[in-house]
Amino acid sequence: MTQTRDIFQAIADPTRRQIIGMLAQKSLNVNAIAKEFDITRQAVSLHVQFLNDCGLIVIKKQGRERYCEAKLVKLNEVTDWVNQYRKHWDNKFDSLESYLAKIQKKKK
Amino acid sequence: MEKHNTFKQEENILIHTRIIDAPRDLVWEVWTTPEHIKEWWGPNGFSLTTKSMNVEPGEIWDFIMHGMGRDWDSKIEYVEVKKPSFLSYKHSGERSEDYNFTVTILFEEVEGKTLLTMKSIFKSKAIIEELNREVNAIEGGKQTLNRLENYIKILESNKP
Repeated sequence: MTQTRDIFQAIADPTRRQIIGMLAQKSLNVNAIAKEFDITRQAVSLHVQFLNDCGLIVIKKQGRERYCEAKLVKLNEVTDWVNQYRKHWDNKFDSLESYLAKIQKKKK
Repeated sequence: MEKHNTFKQEENILIHTRIIDAPRDLVWEVWTTPEHIKEWWGPNGFSLTTKSMNVEPGEIWDFIMHGMGRDWDSKIEYVEVKKPSFLSYKHSGERSEDYNFTVTILFEEVEGKTLLTMKSIFKSKAIIEELNREVNAIEGGKQTLNRLENYIKILESNKP
């Protein structure tokens, strides 16, 4: 279960991508992030938690506030060549598998 | 089953394994005929046109991938062909020979399914490290996010 929240899932969601983009400019607390979206603060908080779980951001306490800070180094997991190559072939094998499933179904 | 989907790096070799729920002969066919390979080979969101394909040692597969607003000419050269159990080919890009790499794919029968073991063999471990560094260098700051956006679009276009 440890791998259920990976960076690829994290960035597959448009809201989370936008949050990363905002935090790349400056650190913000959840309320400030939530103001930019039409979804509830709770929903934003879940997205923030997701990003935190996979290490794309860190949450730092400053007094009573909790500030979110982007950890863009982690994005190198995506942009690292080996990982791109790995991901590419994972996708290819998925395509191969579903294509084979399709043509075998037709034959029957 | 999950344990058959693996990936690891051993020095200068990247190794993928995957078990596919289909008979070996069919998996081989889908890997070696133009009308089948175009259905799955290209990056997600790309389409593919084969100019010629001759699956024999020393012969080539000449093809074009269409995506991200342009055409990508591609060519691979087959090195070893042992139907239906072993295939290897060479990738050569526009860059110097150092960056070329060889791929071997082993097709094994396992209880009516097919276990694929794909090895991508580079000239040295240093070449892989250099590719990593290069990609990291191009990225960085805003550019990372832009590239990321493109990358995500490709990922998303593959969703059902």
